[in-house]
This record gives sequence, structure tokens and C-alpha cells, in this order.
Amino acid sequence: MQWLTNLIKGFTSLTHKQRVEAELDEELHSYVRESVAHKQGNGMTPAVARRAALAEMGSRNSVKHQVWSSRWESTLDNLLNDIRLGIRTLSKSPGFTVVALLSLALGIGGNTAIFTLIHQVILCNLPVRDPQQLVSFNKSIGGGIIGGVDLGTGGLYSWSFAHQLETAPGPFQGIASYSSFSPTVSVRPPSDSRDSASGTQAITVPATLVSGNYFSLLGSQPLMGRLIGLSDNATPESGAVADISYRFWQQSLSADPAIVGKTLTINGTPFTVIGVMPRQFQGFKTEIEPAALWAPIMMQPVVYHDQSYLSAAFAPYFLHLFGRLSSQAVSNHDTFAQSQQWLDQQVQAGIRAMEGASITPARQQEISRVTVPLFHAQQGVSQMRGGYGDSLRILMIVVVLVLLIACANLANFLLARGAARQRETATRLALGSSRARIVGQSLIESLLLSLAGGALGLLIAFVSTRALIAFVTRGTSATAFSPAPDAAVLLFTMAVALATGLLFGLAPAFAAARMGATTTLASNARTAQAGGVKSSRFWPRTLVIAQITLSLLLLVGAGLFLRSLRNLQNQDFGFERTHLLMAQFDAQLAGYKTSQASSLQQRLIDRLSALPGVRSVAVSGTAPISEGNWTSTIRFSGYTPAPKENMYSLLNRVSGGYFETAGIPMVAGRSISTADSAGSLKVAVISQTLANHFFPKGNAIGRMLTIDIDSVAGPWQIVGIARDSKSTDPRNTDPIRMTYIPLAQIAPFTPADQPADAGTKPAPPEPNNNCFASNLILRTSGDPSRSIADLRAAMASIDPNLPLLHVTSIQEQVSSLMSHDELVSAFTGLFSMLALLLAAIGLYGVMSYNVVRRTNEIGIRFALGASGSTVLWMILREALLLLSVGLILGLPLAATVARLIRLQLFDLNPFDLATFALAVTVVSAMTVFSAYLPARRAAKVDPMVAIRCD
Amino acid sequence: MPAKLDEASQHTPESHDMIQGTLEMLILKTLALEPMHGYGVALRIEQISQGVFRVNPGSLLPALSRMERAGRARSEWRATENNRRAKYYMLTAKGHKALAAETKQWHRQTAAISRILEA
Repeated sequence: MQWLTNLIKGFTSLTHKQRVEAELDEELHSYVRESVAHKQGNGMTPAVARRAALAEMGSRNSVKHQVWSSRWESTLDNLLNDIRLGIRTLSKSPGFTVVALLSLALGIGGNTAIFTLIHQVILCNLPVRDPQQLVSFNKSIGGGIIGGVDLGTGGLYSWSFAHQLETAPGPFQGIASYSSFSPTVSVRPPSDSRDSASGTQAITVPATLVSGNYFSLLGSQPLMGRLIGLSDNATPESGAVADISYRFWQQSLSADPAIVGKTLTINGTPFTVIGVMPRQFQGFKTEIEPAALWAPIMMQPVVYHDQSYLSAAFAPYFLHLFGRLSSQAVSNHDTFAQSQQWLDQQVQAGIRAMEGASITPARQQEISRVTVPLFHAQQGVSQMRGGYGDSLRILMIVVVLVLLIACANLANFLLARGAARQRETATRLALGSSRARIVGQSLIESLLLSLAGGALGLLIAFVSTRALIAFVTRGTSATAFSPAPDAAVLLFTMAVALATGLLFGLAPAFAAARMGATTTLASNARTAQAGGVKSSRFWPRTLVIAQITLSLLLLVGAGLFLRSLRNLQNQDFGFERTHLLMAQFDAQLAGYKTSQASSLQQRLIDRLSALPGVRSVAVSGTAPISEGNWTSTIRFSGYTPAPKENMYSLLNRVSGGYFETAGIPMVAGRSISTADSAGSLKVAVISQTLANHFFPKGNAIGRMLTIDIDSVAGPWQIVGIARDSKSTDPRNTDPIRMTYIPLAQIAPFTPADQPADAGTKPAPPEPNNNCFASNLILRTSGDPSRSIADLRAAMASIDPNLPLLHVTSIQEQVSSLMSHDELVSAFTGLFSMLALLLAAIGLYGVMSYNVVRRTNEIGIRFALGASGSTVLWMILREALLLLSVGLILGLPLAATVARLIRLQLFDLNPFDLATFALAVTVVSAMTVFSAYLPARRAAKVDPMVAIRCD
Repeated sequence: MPAKLDEASQHTPESHDMIQGTLEMLILKTLALEPMHGYGVALRIEQISQGVFRVNPGSLLPALSRMERAGRARSEWRATENNRRAKYYMLTAKGHKALAAETKQWHRQTAAISRILEA
């Protein structure tokens, strides 16, 4: 407890400094008195005794100072004094302080903003129990429904396999499954919902299906109610219960405190709400638009609005799996390998079971090589992490570079100021201040700046993170990202601010302390220094060179990214790029039957074609370009594929007039027209790549084609060849294999499988969801966005319940597919401009300071006959020297960086000459400009004034 | 290694080098005899050491302040025998313990040093 008493005494003496001082005075006084009395007692006269006693005591102030410094609070007191002094000094030069704070705030703010996103996208662990034990089975980032490939491809599994692992998880603590993507469902809130605005209007939100052990394996707890458990997911198509997300509960259900137990109508089926999840919980898979509700996998037919995927007969892969490792397997490599081995065996057994009895030895060999790698998933899985991870990392490096430039600036300013304060420092040293005190005082000034800059930076970060999030999420309101800084972000900002302060404060601090006390007290301090202690010019120059180098680096990076983005944007997409308006509608959610799909599509086309400014309208299964796709293997009559030959093709189902509307020209044959109807010959159009690959002799037209999806199997006769067009990733330069089939020719029902046992009666025909198509494409004569209001009104007039999900112009659609590139190039561009500005300020500052310092010398030069241009050149020469050193260092560095980022570039040589040339030009112009102003000032120095001025 | 106690002791020419860290022990010992004011402590050390050690206020008062903070001594204002006010210092229980420990330590060390020097 001694330390506590000490602490309290210390604080008391700090707050009652005068009393402590008075007591000390009194003690000293009494000391002298006793001393005098004793000396008198020894026979001295009072006067002599007094003189001797005072001599023994020495300087009273010195004694008091020593007593004071023997206590810990003196350090704190010094610190407070230094801080007070620092604030006073800073406020005495407001110009410097403002520039310093602004550049720091921008630098630190940029770092905080990018870190906020990195933290949320990449670093944040799932809010569950022991997240480090979680592993995903293969990279579960795709999502979709597939069949006909090996189990585990793309991290996708069937329900029967998932369920088998769930019940017998082997070396794992448990294995759970969830739907690989969250389909949009239509939700009708309970009719007694207090929010009258949302009333009984259906809302469309994403929903995730989960296995019965999903929540218990994650170890999550509900905010209220209970979680989906094993019994909820036991029987197919029963268990109509749902846990809802905090956000959905807040935003769409007005945070109804009695929501648990109420009924939500999901896709027309009543579900009981059994629980609300906490705010942080987004599920194992994090998405830009996170799931609003979770339902048992058994409810798949309702949630997917499709036939059951749960039967043995039709078991597509639509689930992702994750497991919880045993605690040993987390740390022990061998145990982990055993878990991996066990999983591979299960997957291989699953494949064998599906392929039945007759597996060729070659195939056996192949199966035994199948592996499903385990990936650590303490942060869950996220498509965005892959997509934006690299972009964010690049941006993080960029903002760090910007901050370094800002640091170099400040270090330079402080060095210059320190030099200007030489006499002050020398005086302090001479008066007995310790060097440590001077270093400390200087550092405290830097830290004051950097911490204030950090606080401002937080504000800037908050604003810019909002913008970043809007950029990343494309304005989706339901995003889980938050611009509000959390503890980690605050800590990061604080650490960055401190590190920054030390970085730019240390050199000036030591420079100040290194100064000799003797030389600088000489009256002519300015010339003494100008005469050149070499080291006093070394640091400013080095820092300026560093700034030039870093600016060059950033400019080259920004240039490369911008040019790469332009290449990406300006490439030939193969379809109309300017006058298309696209929208998605979902007839299934509005309750349409497959038999009504065709007439609805026709009504939409007829109605929308009549809109003013709309030239033509088409409906298609997928948009001309979008993230999703529909794929299958295909076969051609008269073409025998080689073993293992790639027979995949992208598929699209289109209405008549699709090619004309989307602007995809035909290379041969005819396109799909309205005449291709249910009754006529089934036709198909294939892309040029597909035709050239399978029919190099040009005899594709007239061939028959079948698709390995039962509901659209065909056969289809090829009647036309369309030009290749980009279909998914704009970066993908592989020619696209595409097969188009007429929407009108897809039957609303698939014939049921013939039962193997002739005795049972045939099952009723299954509705064929492939006759729905959800993409509307409008070709407009003017700006497509001007038709949006008309489109909405027209849709509402046809069926007010038909949800119009996503209306975009083709430009927006294309740009959303290259948002990483746009993000990186926009922000690198922005930050490199900022860096350039900072570097210019820095250079200008250093050059100006040099000129001021050398005024005397310049005056003498003039007096000795130098001309204005000689002096101008003298100053400029120094700048050019720094520039050339910066370029010599910067160019190889920039080339190295360019090589590192070459994978991020599209169709661009990393050593792109134009980019490098432009960057060099800009940096040179910046240097010359920043140096020219001070140089011109130097050239105008009046020698008489200059020589006299010291 | 003998070192100057601090710079202040240089000012008095008669002062003698004091082994570092011993000042506090000497003060402890002095105060263990009876409570005393600052000058009294300085005088007592000088007298007992027969003038070998002279402690000036610049080192004595900070040392007393340190000891007070560490809980080894406490102080109060009292009247002296001549009826003047002075700040008297006295040992606490902790101070007595510290004196015992330091004395023991000192004897061990000096004995060891003597053995080395006599070897």
C-alpha cells in the first residue's frame, strides 16, 4: 500500500504546490537557524556564524530543486510544464501548426479509414466461441447450386452428405452446414406490426438456410428467444421457424420487443420467429448484404421457391460445410493432418457411393486423389475478403506512404524551427537544463501535434469511411459495415499517431540536443550555422529526397492503376454499352406459377416497349453482364468429345429481340425472335468461340445441341452464331462460350421421372423454374436513367406486387463489376495527389528556410557582383540536385513496385512508358515550382538590407 | 567504486567522498537513536564520523524526503530545546527494519571486500 500513499501524497503536493514550497522554505530556514545557533554555541560571533551557515547551505533554490526532484511528481510536473510550453509555442506560429495538423490529420485519417475497413473485412474474428477452431471445408466463397461434378467442388455439398457428416463428425467437435448463398425471399411482417408504414407490404431480404447444429457449433447466443436446434431441422418441409438478424429486427420490424413467437410470412409460408440474433452476428459467411433471417435447411423448397433438393433422387450441391477442430488439432500439426485425411476419405467415399458399382480403375485412381482442403476460418468466410482484400492492402500501403511523406514534412519543419531556436536552446543548456529535458520538450511538442492530428484524423476517417463503405457496398443500405470506430480502430489510430510523432519528432529533438552550447551563444548564430555544420543540412535534404522518391512511387502506382482501369473500361465488351437500362423482377416471389411465366413476360415486353424513349425490350435469365451465371456441360450431335474434354458452356435463356436489344451482333445465321415459340422448332444460338472451337470448318448451323440439365435438355437446333461478349468478370480475357436458348421454348413443367417400379403411379409433373427469367433489358434512345420512373410506373400498372429489385444502367452494372479497380485507382489517385501536395509544401518550406538562412550570404554575393540569375540558379541547382537523387532512387523502386502490382493491372505493361514519363514530369514540375518561388525571392534580396540584417 | 554523492557536495571543500548509497543508511542509523531535525542529523553524522563525513543540506534534505515517501521515516514540526520550531524526523517500523537489513548487507559486503583486499 506504500505506493498508494506515495501516489496520494504526490498528487496532494502537486495540487498544493505553494504549501509544499512554503513548508520547504520553513524547513530550510529552521535548518539555518539551528546551524547558526550551533555555531554561536561554538564561540562564533552571530555575524560570522550566520555567514558560515549560509555558505554551508549554498543556493537555497538549488536545495529546494533537489528535494523537489527527489519526488516522482516532479517528473509529472515537468511534463505538464512542457506540455503547457508546447501548446504556447505551437499557438505562437499558427500557420505552421495549421499546416502540420492538416497534413497529419489527412495522413492519419487515411490510415484510420482504410484500417477500419481492413479490420472489418479481413481481421475481425467471428463473434463466436473459440473462433480459431473453425475451419471451412474448401474455400467456401463461391456459392450456387451445382450437380454433375465431384463432391466438394467449389466447397459445395449435397444435403445427404452434409447430414451424414453432421451426425458422424469423426475427429471434429462437430460439422455444420448452411446454404452457400442467401436467396432473396419475400417477407410479410406480422399484420399487427406496429410499424404501419411497412404494414403488410412484402419486403425482400436475403435468407440463409442452416443445419440444426449450425448455431450450437458456432457457439452463438441469441439476443432473445432461442436458436434453431436439431429438432427444427429433422423432417423435410417442416420446421417453419426463423431466427432474425438484429438489423432486420430494428429496420423492418420496428424492434418489436414481442417479436418472438410472432409469424412472418416467407414466400407465402408462415414461419414462427423463434429468436433475434445479437447485433454483431452475421453468420459464418459474411456478405456485403448479410442475411436477415436464418431458417432450417428442411425449409429449402419454400426459401428457394424450388423443388426439394433434399431427396436422394435429386440432390444438387447447394450447401457449404464448416467444422470445429478438436482443441488439439488447432495447435498440433499431426492431429490437424489427421482431420484433413479423415475428411478426404469421407469425400472420396461419398463420390464412390454416388457413382455406384462400376467404377473404372482409372476413375478409382482419380477419386483417391480428390482432396477438400481445410481452411482456417476464425474470421468466417467472405467473398469480399477475396475481392477487396488485395485492394485494401494496396490502399493501406498507399496511405502509409502518404503518412511517411507527411512525417518527412513535419520533421523538416521542426528541424528548421529547431535551428531557428538554437539560441534559445543554447541558453537553456547554459542555464543548466539537462539535454534529456530538451529532447523531452521537443518530443512533447511533436507528440502534441501528432495526437491532435490523430484526433482530427479520426474525424476525417469517420467521414471518408462512410464514403468508402458506400463505394464498396454500392449504396446497399443493409450493409453490416459501420464507419464508427471501435476499440481496435481507436487503438490503431492512437498507435499510429504516437509512432508518427516519434518518427518526425526524434530527429529534430536530437538535433536540438546535439547542439553545442558554446558555439551557438555567439552573437552571429545565423552565419555560424550557415557556414555549415554538415549534419544540419544532411537531414533536410535526405527528407526532401525521400519525399520526392515516395511521391514518384505513388504517382507511378496511381498512373498504372488509372490506365489499367481505362483499359478495362474501354475494352470491347461485345454488347451495347451506353443505352441499356436493366432491372430485375421476381415473378416467383410475387406468387406466379410457371405456367403464367410466359404470358407475364410477353405482357411486360409489350407494355415496356410502348414507353417513350424505349426502343426495344427483352427478358433474359441473366443480364448481358453480371456476377452470376448459369452453366452446364453441353453436347453436339455428331461430335464425340475426347475423354475429359471441357464441354462447359455458359447458358442464357432469352426472349425474342434479346440480341437486338443488347446489341450483340450475329456473325452467321439468325438470332432468336418472337417467332421461336413453344410450338415451333427448338432453336439455339451459340457464341463464336463455341462455334469455332467445336466446328472449325464453319458448319455449326443446323447441328443439334443438348444441355445436361434435364429441364432444358433439348435437343436444340443451332440457327445462329452470335459475336462473343463479356459475360461475368470484365478482367476475364478468355473468350466466352455461351449458348442462348429461347425462353418461350422452355416448358413450364418437366416430365416426371418414370418410376423404376412399373406398379406405382407416375408422379405429377414438376414445375420448371427455368421458364422464369428475371432480367429486364431496355434499350433506350436517350439517357437510360431517364426511363427509370416510367419503368417503375409501368411495372406497377402491370402488377403492383411484382417486386422490381435492382434497377441499373449498363454503365453502373459494368462499373460494379470492376469496383475493386475503381476503388484502388480512385483512392491511389487521390492519395498520390495529396502526397504530391504535401511534398510540394515540404520542399517549398525547406527551400524557403534555406533562402532565409542564407540571406546574409546572398547579400554578400550580390555585393561582390553576383547577378540575380546567378543567385536564382544557385538555389534552383540545389533543388534540381535533390530532384535527380530522388529520381535516381525512385525509378528503380517504382519499377520494382510496378512489377509487384502487375497482377492487379489489366492489359498493361507494368513498365508502361507513358505512366513513368508522366510521373517523372509531374514530380519534376512540382520540384521546380516549389523551389522557384523561394529562389526568386533570393534573387530579389537587397544586399544592403541583407548584410545589415544580422 | 567511490563516487561523488552528487554535484552539490562539491561546493564544500571539506566534504569527503561518500560511498554511494550509504547516506541513507547513515541517516537511518542516526534517526534510530532519537527523532531529530535536519541540521541535527547532519551534525550528528559529522560528529560521530569525527569530521570524515560532512553532509550538506543539498543531499540531506532530498534523502530525508525520499525516505519519508518510502515510508521509512515520518516527520512532524516540534519545538527544539531552545524553543524554536523545527521539522523532526523519526523512524517508522519499516525504517527500523530497513536499517537492520541494510546494516547486515553492509557488514557482509565490507567483510567480503576486506577479505579480497587482504588476500
